[in-house]
Amino acid sequence: MTSKVMNWLDERLGLTGIYDSVLDRNIPKVNWWFTLGSASLFLVGLQGITGIFLTVYYVPSPDHAYDSIQYIMNGVAYGWLIRGIHHWGATLMVIVVFIHMLRTFYCAAYKYPRELTWVTGVVLLLATLGMGFTGYLLPMNQKAYWATTVGTEIPGTIPIIGPFLTQVLRGGVGISAVTLARFFSLHIWFLPALIALTIGIHMYLIIRLGISYIPTKED
Amino acid sequence: MNEEQKQRYQERYAEEKQKGVKFYPDIIYKDTVVAFGLFILLVGLAIFVGVANEPKADPSDTSYIPRPEWYFLFLFEFLKYVPGAIEWVGAAVIPGVVILVLFLLPFIDRNPNRYWSKRKLAISLMAVIVLGIVALTILAVATTPPQPETDTIAGTITEQIVVGEELYGLHCVECHGPDGEGGEIVGVEGLEGVVVKSISSQDEMYTRSDETFYNVIDYGQPDLGMTPFGRAYGGELGPGAIETIVTFMRYTWDDRVEIPEEAALASAIPALGPDEIPSYEVHVQAIVKRYCISCHRQGKQNNDYFMSTYEEIMESGANAPNVIPGDINSLLLMSIRREEMPGLDPEVGPMPPTKALKEELLEIFRRWVLGGAPNTAAEAEALSPTPESAPPAYPEPEATP
Repeated sequence: MTSKVMNWLDERLGLTGIYDSVLDRNIPKVNWWFTLGSASLFLVGLQGITGIFLTVYYVPSPDHAYDSIQYIMNGVAYGWLIRGIHHWGATLMVIVVFIHMLRTFYCAAYKYPRELTWVTGVVLLLATLGMGFTGYLLPMNQKAYWATTVGTEIPGTIPIIGPFLTQVLRGGVGISAVTLARFFSLHIWFLPALIALTIGIHMYLIIRLGISYIPTKED
Repeated sequence: MNEEQKQRYQERYAEEKQKGVKFYPDIIYKDTVVAFGLFILLVGLAIFVGVANEPKADPSDTSYIPRPEWYFLFLFEFLKYVPGAIEWVGAAVIPGVVILVLFLLPFIDRNPNRYWSKRKLAISLMAVIVLGIVALTILAVATTPPQPETDTIAGTITEQIVVGEELYGLHCVECHGPDGEGGEIVGVEGLEGVVVKSISSQDEMYTRSDETFYNVIDYGQPDLGMTPFGRAYGGELGPGAIETIVTFMRYTWDDRVEIPEEAALASAIPALGPDEIPSYEVHVQAIVKRYCISCHRQGKQNNDYFMSTYEEIMESGANAPNVIPGDINSLLLMSIRREEMPGLDPEVGPMPPTKALKEELLEIFRRWVLGGAPNTAAEAEALSPTPESAPPAYPEPEATP
């Protein structure tokens, strides 16, 4: 019976093809440092899931953001756990993605034929930092407010266009409801969409080209 | 990379793949182990470290030292070493170039070798950058001055009520009274004799929203003589602090809201046992905080007697000593008994000025002074008659049938 169902599905979905090309393929023998890419993927997933749960109660307005987080921490069952994982996940993400980049650099994995994998990886590294930067403001506490104040001041130092850039980031002169709305939407729509798309390309390239091997003296 | 080199790489890769392992299960197994480890680590961090509770954002708080997230600290620290006039080079040009180089790395680094010892230039450049980032981050963390004491952060409703009550005692009692009852103001500079309506009445509670209370405390009521308390308008309180006061008022005075049991316990003045000697720490401080501290604290110009600490209560002001342990006619006791005390300079009137303390509170003060005015609970216990120190009790005479 099971095999009948599997055959029916396979005929339509091409499961065997996926199994052969994705799972049942040979890979050079590598060490534990090579798990960091999939660790990043796992963390993205975890951040996504905990983030979705947080949006249930989070209110992106300066009047209520702080209180809604207080409610998540004190009122919602296991809200503190979900927020704790999301909070620390962000820090771990940055570390893991960065070390993943150092590993690919050390192994020269950015060279032929994986140049594009590297380029998409840089996009993902920057998007991760962007997620950290935009997510940091959302709790609307002192640390968040002032970190965003100094963070958005940095582009303001560029001559001529600087003040304009700061205004675009903030949606006005100071940190306001508009800033929070912009950061919130960047954090939950724009950047995740970019990340999902880029991860898709990154993964396609990894499966198509295979992971690099650890170079030896002859390489 | 020329065609020949590409060809050689492909052959080499095919060979490595040949003696390699299967993606499933070998690689998947390793990945799962790492993912599980990270998950446990995160849950552990969430449970045992948690997320630090921070006060609410307060744009008016100029004493707060702004810091970016830790992973941008290196850039922040780096900018400190860039002269102000060319700050934009450090802020935009250098990071921009670094990002561009990072993107174009595969096209810039034309060296066909892959083993580290054959790529010394690339490896050492990256090492310098990474070490620089790590060093700058450590330097930034090490040189970060600690954040100055800011608003008390209150998380749960109970914590908010307790903090709010303390702040209400400090800032509001001198005009609005300990229970928000209002009345004629006595002894407040500029407002002497002004009659304040009750702010704890049912009318007030039913017709004013939390937001209204918040705004009144924040901006004050200039027409009625109430000064602004919000930091943004020249007062002392941040938004978080004002909110705790509103929470305290709502939960304490609004009869439609039930105060959490914990909060009620925390704000009650501890009851005394029949022979127990009260201490400053447990009993007197709680009363002082509610009824006296609003006027009797540092920074108040209209009197020189402060009650913020045990020492101040005993010794501050020109009329000290204010409390003589064992003396029923100590200054403090006579004042709260509302007795005339001629010949003192400065004069001491009946306290609190508008309304006498309740009988049970007077009793706590009386027993405290007579019992030796102990500071801590431990000292009070040592002074209290206990079964051990009391003279041996005679055995109860047996009841005769």
